[in-house]
Amino acid sequence: MKKVEIFDPAMCCSTGVCGPTVDPELTRIASAVYSLEKKGFAISRHNLTDDPGAFVDNRQVNQVLVDKGPDALPVVLVNGEVVKIAEYPTTEELAEWFETAPSELQEKPRVRVSLNINN
Amino acid sequence: MYSLFNPNQMAVTPFLFFTGKGGVGKTSTACATAVALADQGKKVLLVSTDPASNLQDVLEVQLTNDPKSIPSVANLSACNIDPEQAAKAYKESVIGPYRGKLPDAVLATMEEQLSGACTVEIAAFDEFSHLLADEEILAQYDHVLFDTAPTGHTLRLLQLPTAWSGFLEDSTHGASCLGPLAGLEGKKALYKKAVDSLSDGDKTTLILVARPDNSSLLEADRASFELKEIGIKNQWLIVNGLLQTHQPEDAVSTAFYKRQRAAIEQTPEALKQVMAYSLPYVSYSLTGVENLRHLFSSYSITSFETEEGGDPLDLPGLNSVIDDFSEHNTRVIFTMGKGGVGKTSVASAIAVGLSEKGYKVHLTTTDPAAHLAYTFEGSGIRDNLSISSINPDIEVARYKETVIEQAGGGMTEEELAYLKEDLESPCTEEIALFQAFAKVVEKSENEIVVIDTAPTGHTLLLLDSTEAYHKEMSRSTGDVPDSVKKLLPRLRNPKETGVVIVTLAEATPVLEAARLEEDLKRAGIEPKWWVINQSLYATNTADAVLRGRAISEKKWIRKVDAELAEKCAIIPWLEEEKIGYDQLKEFIL
Repeated sequence: MKKVEIFDPAMCCSTGVCGPTVDPELTRIASAVYSLEKKGFAISRHNLTDDPGAFVDNRQVNQVLVDKGPDALPVVLVNGEVVKIAEYPTTEELAEWFETAPSELQEKPRVRVSLNINN
Repeated sequence: MYSLFNPNQMAVTPFLFFTGKGGVGKTSTACATAVALADQGKKVLLVSTDPASNLQDVLEVQLTNDPKSIPSVANLSACNIDPEQAAKAYKESVIGPYRGKLPDAVLATMEEQLSGACTVEIAAFDEFSHLLADEEILAQYDHVLFDTAPTGHTLRLLQLPTAWSGFLEDSTHGASCLGPLAGLEGKKALYKKAVDSLSDGDKTTLILVARPDNSSLLEADRASFELKEIGIKNQWLIVNGLLQTHQPEDAVSTAFYKRQRAAIEQTPEALKQVMAYSLPYVSYSLTGVENLRHLFSSYSITSFETEEGGDPLDLPGLNSVIDDFSEHNTRVIFTMGKGGVGKTSVASAIAVGLSEKGYKVHLTTTDPAAHLAYTFEGSGIRDNLSISSINPDIEVARYKETVIEQAGGGMTEEELAYLKEDLESPCTEEIALFQAFAKVVEKSENEIVVIDTAPTGHTLLLLDSTEAYHKEMSRSTGDVPDSVKKLLPRLRNPKETGVVIVTLAEATPVLEAARLEEDLKRAGIEPKWWVINQSLYATNTADAVLRGRAISEKKWIRKVDAELAEKCAIIPWLEEEKIGYDQLKEFIL
């Protein structure tokens, strides 16, 4: 099975609504990644603001950043090789890498645990 | 009229939170209350979040974030939490370890994401919660006073179940609005306890501090409602700086007095239900323990501020600002400053002045009352002045709808709640407003545009992150309107754009304005003019109380003129609310 890693740019909030523009790409990619994770595929995401270590430890990504700066993000790796720079994979590309149908990748993330501070 | 606030004659809860916009006198009221309670023999801790901490000057002690006893007041301890500092420390803890490991440009994008108002708010709450939830603190002190309160936005975020679920650590999400909380599941119990203490009426009183003027009372009403909704129901209102008497033969004194009384009569209905007290307008500034004691012990005017030395100050009026913009052919003019300093009046007066010079001018105001447009009607308004008003509430609501439409499709209820709360962040309002301004500016290619609010540096930098704005745009599928793209470079061009900082000659407004200026400079915008508005020093009032205040203004006028402003103008306190065209002309004389 292929392993896909997405290295996101620094984001204020991943919903993309705190930033200067609302990026439906973010919502789309979040849903796709979530669906794939649930199906047990090897896909992961790293946000620069929350998880800078990943951007240091991964040599490939680090090199892209040194060469091209922050505009190169998001960077997408398949099996450890850089396949995309400065854009997210399309739903079709993801489906192709994991040999599944694009329609399978539309599921919204669900909250796993819910702890209410008010109770 | 209200009874005078006197902590010596009332039952006081263990926790007191003072809330209100900058310049209403939160810190001095909190200090005076703390000293009064300590003088009764109660053990008191005063927690200040004043970044400039003039508290240190008041109490004559260097404060740290650990409680320290105050030598000049038995039973009183104080500590100073600087939320900006706390946010900075948090930012450094995130970024520091990666210096030299990631390129500087990459670190800069992280840093900007962590520079929003939310990070500061949450960092401050984090500091509060330790004090609120710590049993030892409660055992040690009878009263803990905070000179500020957490905002509704922060408290709501903390009450959302999603904030405490796997949502935050889920690799598909991460929210820096809750930056300092991310991955700090261990703090959940602490925050819950803090929120519980806040909403327990036996433990906590929220004290809304307002000035006797319409905008300040409106703001208190808004805060009161918002915090009631969250469950903080035990509230008092203190109307601070109420002139007790006036001199009928002195025009300024009479107008000042009447305006205050009129504002109080127009107190919003809901706020009238809150237990209200007042504090007198005094001739001295509330610094030094003796002055603080004086506030509750005797309301007569005893001492005058000693006449401050130095030459009389002579600053130009607003007409110099207008001449300067005319001479340099400035096309876009923003006035900025905190609430209650008169940004709208100054913007309107600049617009009137330029139109009098024969320019075509468009004035855009965010004044919610929108009575500006109303009073301009039929007041001999010229053909070359047009006005539009941007209603922040409507713009923000519209923006939120668009966002939820674009991003919220098919989300679970919890996520939608989270998305909606993310949208309550201060950044959202700014971006929504900025888009509205940009539209106005775009439509007015052949006119001078005057706008009574400016975006913050943080917004501009987000919109323009790391100089790569256009690249960013070509990549992002999010829809940044063309008008915004066009406006950004214009804003940075001093030949085209002028920013006017409006302030009052008092400690907090000046220090807050200085921070606004720093923030804009970060985004590469240099404010050209400072305007000191509503100055008593610039009037010739003979009223003893007002005269004392006029003299204490000098220090701040001097500071603005000598240290902060490239160019500085002053406007005397005027007898009426200037809103009509012809009255506005008086500003310019």
